[in-house]
Amino acid sequence: MQKVLSKIAEVTSDPYAYVAGLKDRTGKRIIGCFPMYVPEEIVHAADLIPVVIWRGNESVTWGHAHVPAYDCGIVRSFVDDAVRGKLGFMDGMVFHVRQCLQVGEFPLIIERNVKPAYMKILYLPPIYPGDGVRSFLLDDLQSFKTSLEDFTGKKISDDDLKRSIDIYNENRSLLERVYEIRRERPGILKAREVMQIVWSSMLMPKEDHNELLEELIKGMEKKTVESKGDRVKVIPVGCLCQTLQFDILDMIEDMGMVIPDDDLYIGSRYFANKANINGNPIEALADRYLTKIPLCPTKGVWDIHWGDEAIKQMKANNAKGIISIRVKYCPPHTCYYPDFKSKMMEESVPEVMIEMEHEIMSLEGVKTRLQSFAETLGGV
Amino acid sequence: MGVEYKINRLAATNDMRPMVDRHWAELRAAKERGEKVAWASGPSFVFPYAMGMKCHFMAGYAAYCGGIGAADELMKLAEASGELPETCSYHRLHMGMVEAVKKEIPIKKPEAILPLPDLLVAGRYCTEQSHYSESFYRRMGIRVSPLELPFIFEKEDRPRLREFVYRQIKENVIPNLEEVCGKPFDYDRLSEIISVLKKAATIRNECWEFFKTKPVYWTLWDYAVSMAPVIYMMGDPESVPFYEKLLKELRERKEKGIPAMAPDGEKYRIYWDGWIPWAFLGKFMRKFTPNGAVCLCGRYPWEMFPHPELLDTEHPLETVADWMYGEKGLAKNMAPKESVEFIGGLIEEYSIDGLVMFSSKSCRMWNLSQMDVVDALDKRYGIPGVVIEADMIDPAMISDSQIDIRLQALFETIDGRRRR
Repeated sequence: MQKVLSKIAEVTSDPYAYVAGLKDRTGKRIIGCFPMYVPEEIVHAADLIPVVIWRGNESVTWGHAHVPAYDCGIVRSFVDDAVRGKLGFMDGMVFHVRQCLQVGEFPLIIERNVKPAYMKILYLPPIYPGDGVRSFLLDDLQSFKTSLEDFTGKKISDDDLKRSIDIYNENRSLLERVYEIRRERPGILKAREVMQIVWSSMLMPKEDHNELLEELIKGMEKKTVESKGDRVKVIPVGCLCQTLQFDILDMIEDMGMVIPDDDLYIGSRYFANKANINGNPIEALADRYLTKIPLCPTKGVWDIHWGDEAIKQMKANNAKGIISIRVKYCPPHTCYYPDFKSKMMEESVPEVMIEMEHEIMSLEGVKTRLQSFAETLGGV
Repeated sequence: MGVEYKINRLAATNDMRPMVDRHWAELRAAKERGEKVAWASGPSFVFPYAMGMKCHFMAGYAAYCGGIGAADELMKLAEASGELPETCSYHRLHMGMVEAVKKEIPIKKPEAILPLPDLLVAGRYCTEQSHYSESFYRRMGIRVSPLELPFIFEKEDRPRLREFVYRQIKENVIPNLEEVCGKPFDYDRLSEIISVLKKAATIRNECWEFFKTKPVYWTLWDYAVSMAPVIYMMGDPESVPFYEKLLKELRERKEKGIPAMAPDGEKYRIYWDGWIPWAFLGKFMRKFTPNGAVCLCGRYPWEMFPHPELLDTEHPLETVADWMYGEKGLAKNMAPKESVEFIGGLIEEYSIDGLVMFSSKSCRMWNLSQMDVVDALDKRYGIPGVVIEADMIDPAMISDSQIDIRLQALFETIDGRRRR
């Protein structure tokens, strides 16, 4: 188990070196998919390696000449990485430009400065009523598939796509199992390790990751954990598109709280819902995208309340509180947050919001908030 | 001694304020008269109008509140109720207004209070336009009719985006309106609106010729305060005489040799990119005018209907879809790549000396890749540009010194290049 965790930590501690090495090792081309909803299965079926684009590990420098300081961390960091040539190993990039306005920054900047051999824009629509939405989505996915076929010169058959979906579904099942064990034995993994496990799934070929997860699960199933019954359980929610600073996760645990589950993008959201492999595979991917839960504020869903969903998750885990992680300058989360907060207050659910930025932020301030939250919950 | 520049104001634009006031007064009184009310974002207001509803327009309301000095108070109310200060200022403005309605909080400008709508027609150019309507649904159960309106990032995507938008109008917007109003959609009324619009836009476009002249005879600030009749007052019969009067005055100015910028015309002809700073028009005028700089044209607040001849009253729904998504539709200029071509055309057509890119800190809709757009245009046309960071209505997001320094740098760069 420790060997697997070390391998995962190695991948995520330097994703640049890992992905560049992956390309050298496999001879396959790398396609960067901007989070959160590019269907990686289609890229995989084209015999390319999809990796989910990540928030970088350095402060923004050259990127300031391209994007304003009031864009979110991953947008600024990705542009910075790209224009500094740190992503030269990516042969292609895919952007879902209707997820939020800021993703619309990329096409011109990337095209002018560091255009990869392949670039595709997806319009994946919000989940609005009417058949036109699904029809347009299918058309968008088909256009994605065709563009990849043109790039590789190889047709993607339904069987290719189903095989890829199967591998991805397997990865989702294995990640679910990891989460299930954590729910049963909170504390079996540190929260940062869980985030690294999911993040590594976004970086590694799914076949390789599945092997690692199988080994990890075997180890987890054998491992006994000292009861954390006296520790207060909390559920972190949000942090769309990007990794959270691991220090914050450590801090939550150091405060005596334990995380049995999460509602984070680099967490349970990434692997939620499988695509159906029976029938038309493009339709299966469309239907997966059109699934409203886990609720995402980028998808235009208003008949389900994110707050209700978070409370359900909290109760299912016997947790006592919710920690909202809001990325600074993330409009979808920022616009939703007041309603989320109101719901928490209506339902008397303890909740605290931590705002995270790409660059170093005041961890002391975060610590104070978490400490008082932990005390409120009676966990220290 | 330097030239003392000042703006010669147009008289015709004085007619605008009473027209705008009437529009909002009628909307305020609609519920008392038993009329249905809609709120709209994007260009979707035209559909409620066709049904005889009174309709608000998200950006128009923000402009109105900015103009009457109500915006700051409403945004503060929103923040007091939990909205976060980095949220879109239009979003906060609306949340503040609804907060005032719900809790019956008196405000200094009661004319900013609108009746809550029977339907929200949520055109989603920018994702925030969706967030605000979703929030109204969650808070008050107000019915929402959404309409996804993507920018066109690649030319070849236009036909399928046009089809998608058209289909949503047919499948979603119209049935929702029919249900709320309890009657079939009024295609004839939509045709009438487009007919009035066509006349108004045609006359208004003639006014555009007076932006191309040297000296220029009107300015972006005149333009800003006179745009409502072809936008959210679309179809108002008064729009035609209004633009006729404006055109007449511009012709007279030309005949008499009265330029927009006294005493002898402008020194710098400036392209303006992005939103209009509705609450700060005077402030921005005072930054440009003493330097002899006139803002002439832009993307968002520009012609809106560059090809009124394409407005087809026989096919009203198609014509609305084509306005944005037809071959000459406006949605393509919203994405940065096409905007480089579009702005390049304006630079040549309007003899532009420099670019000012208004970057809104709370709304990124027109900000996308602005720095690269400036760089691309500078390399292609040798025209310098600056990005200024501000907001349409939020005074907390305006730093005068930052704007002044950047504008000064722009004027000096233009001077430097002229000396070469």
